[in-house]
Amino acid sequence: MRVKSFFKKIGSLIITKEIFENKNLSKQLYRYFLIGLFIRLIFLPFLFQRDLLSTYQRAAETVFAGNFGSDFQQMLTNVIHSIYLFIIKSIFPAINELSPILLEKDTWISWISFNSSYNVFTALALFKILYLIFDVVCMLIILRLSFDSEPESRLRVFKFWMFNPFVIFILYVFARHDIIGILATLVALLLAKKNRKYWAIIVLAFGIALRFFPIMILPLFILYMARTKKDYIILSVIGISGLAAVELFSYFYFGRSVIFSLLNAQHFDYILSSKLELVIHDRIFIFVAVYVIIILSFLHIKRKNFDILLNYGAIIYLAYVSLCYFHPQYMLWTVPFLIIIFIRRKSLLYYHWIQFALLLVILIYWGDLVTKFVFAPIDYKFFVYLTGPIPIINRFYDSAKFVNIFRSIFTGVSLWMIYLIYKDNKKILTDELKNKEN
Amino acid sequence: MKRISFAVKTIILVFLAALILPLLAGCRGIFYIPGASYGYYIWEEDSKVFVEWSADRKDSKFDGRISTDGKITEYKLKEWEEENDVIKVGEDKIEFSATLDSEDYSDGFSFTPQGYTYLEFDLKMNDGYDLSRTNVGGFLENPENNVFRIEEDYFDQLRMKPWYQKHPFSEFFNKLFSNKYFTFVYLFILGIIIIEILRVTVLATRRKKIIWLAISYTALILVEICIYFVLKFLIR
Repeated sequence: MRVKSFFKKIGSLIITKEIFENKNLSKQLYRYFLIGLFIRLIFLPFLFQRDLLSTYQRAAETVFAGNFGSDFQQMLTNVIHSIYLFIIKSIFPAINELSPILLEKDTWISWISFNSSYNVFTALALFKILYLIFDVVCMLIILRLSFDSEPESRLRVFKFWMFNPFVIFILYVFARHDIIGILATLVALLLAKKNRKYWAIIVLAFGIALRFFPIMILPLFILYMARTKKDYIILSVIGISGLAAVELFSYFYFGRSVIFSLLNAQHFDYILSSKLELVIHDRIFIFVAVYVIIILSFLHIKRKNFDILLNYGAIIYLAYVSLCYFHPQYMLWTVPFLIIIFIRRKSLLYYHWIQFALLLVILIYWGDLVTKFVFAPIDYKFFVYLTGPIPIINRFYDSAKFVNIFRSIFTGVSLWMIYLIYKDNKKILTDELKNKEN
Repeated sequence: MKRISFAVKTIILVFLAALILPLLAGCRGIFYIPGASYGYYIWEEDSKVFVEWSADRKDSKFDGRISTDGKITEYKLKEWEEENDVIKVGEDKIEFSATLDSEDYSDGFSFTPQGYTYLEFDLKMNDGYDLSRTNVGGFLENPENNVFRIEEDYFDQLRMKPWYQKHPFSEFFNKLFSNKYFTFVYLFILGIIIIEILRVTVLATRRKKIIWLAISYTALILVEICIYFVLKFLIR
């Protein structure tokens, strides 16, 4: 009896009490989980983008060569990868065998050697399992973010995450580590939902130190959770404390500034990439202006609730990918917010799939590295010498124009999604008002 | 909603058509896309040997020599530009020099060799050798030496080569087999997931579930054993 109640507790803890106690729903959830896991595992050992190797090469610098500052811009992410690499190298000899390749400085030689090594599939599977672990934890947290009294809707949210094309593509085909920062953001959101304002902002600050991206929703968190002037000050200070801690550590340990290094990196220029040129030196950075409008619009909502916070998170990240130069993995930041909105507005789900189809064309921007080379572990020689998409398009039409047409459609679709979310905001607020009046 | 789903289907169809049409445009004895692919493409069709080259719309120079111990009885030029491209055809030798640019996508010629035991090729790209881009009889069927010979029955032998001994399959199967422990653990995990999916769907309403599960796991083990032997056969 005790064992049964123990497993009941564990089950409720993992998949929520409402779903666990409903046999039908728990079976469905298990089915979705299995099918989603199957799709993920199909891609796990065979495909990757060069950045995965670079990430683990930096971790290998830390683990095998003891260089702690191999990735000082993403220090915490590197620590996580280094710990994980240390664990898998201690268990699997295949990883130790790869150490000369991981420590090779020449990017082309290391990439070729990695792809041609007989145990490349083992290494890729092991490297990506880290992301699978974070992915599984994320899907369980997302279950709890909304629809408290609607287990069916929660199950659908779970389904949308399990079969989300961006999640599968970015984590298991592209193999980027954004899921680590997303997990921190989701934990922060869950804490915010439970009104644990200090814990929420501490975790978000940790998320910012991990991947900088959550800083975009930091003002939303502060505006949502602060009740007094003191709150505004404390939450703001805690919010940037993660970054400040990393900056201080970097300054004293490496003698270099992380913040200025990030500000001068090309990645920060992406935010400023869309601009209106006025006269002489005068120009308006479009995303910055739009971002301010979004934050002000959130500020002026009197009765902010958690669903509105999630909607605004989606709006900010959609505005970013609509208006700025972005890398495919940045799309992952829109997903946790969008899949909750899909329940209320299913049309957004179709647009999300259109976004994915368009992204596959926009990928051509980044050339062979993110297109044909992704398949290189299967047979690197075949995919190196196979004609890539850019020369094929160039043969018939200017490839930059071709991609930019699809890029523009992508922006149009994303902006339309923002409008639909804005309409959803209005509906949430009107419904809430009606409920109060009744 | 129907309209949106129709629009999505239309976009996907247009996208696929845009991908497939350019591919069809370049159908040859060896598949290559003039003006996009880069390298030499050599194949045989109806006793004629075709030698063609293509570059990705960049200024490139292709020159070389083909000689034989037999006779060259006839030859035909393809997309030859007299002002840039030169060819000298002797009784047992062909020498050529040609250029490609943003407007000139590919050039080539075909010839009929007779009474020969070998053909000797000396093919250069931009005054150097790039053997990985010299495809003789098939994509990535590359020679080992800068100046290389092929025997009379080379193309027939190549035609008999099974698909699993060609790129990318040969390399893929080789990696799977040389990394056996991973391959079989991986396939076993996939198998377990499939059986679990069947257990909660198809088998959920069946009686004697345990027997069905036992059958499924036995089948999985048998499939693994079969895969072992299939891979062993494929990488011979």
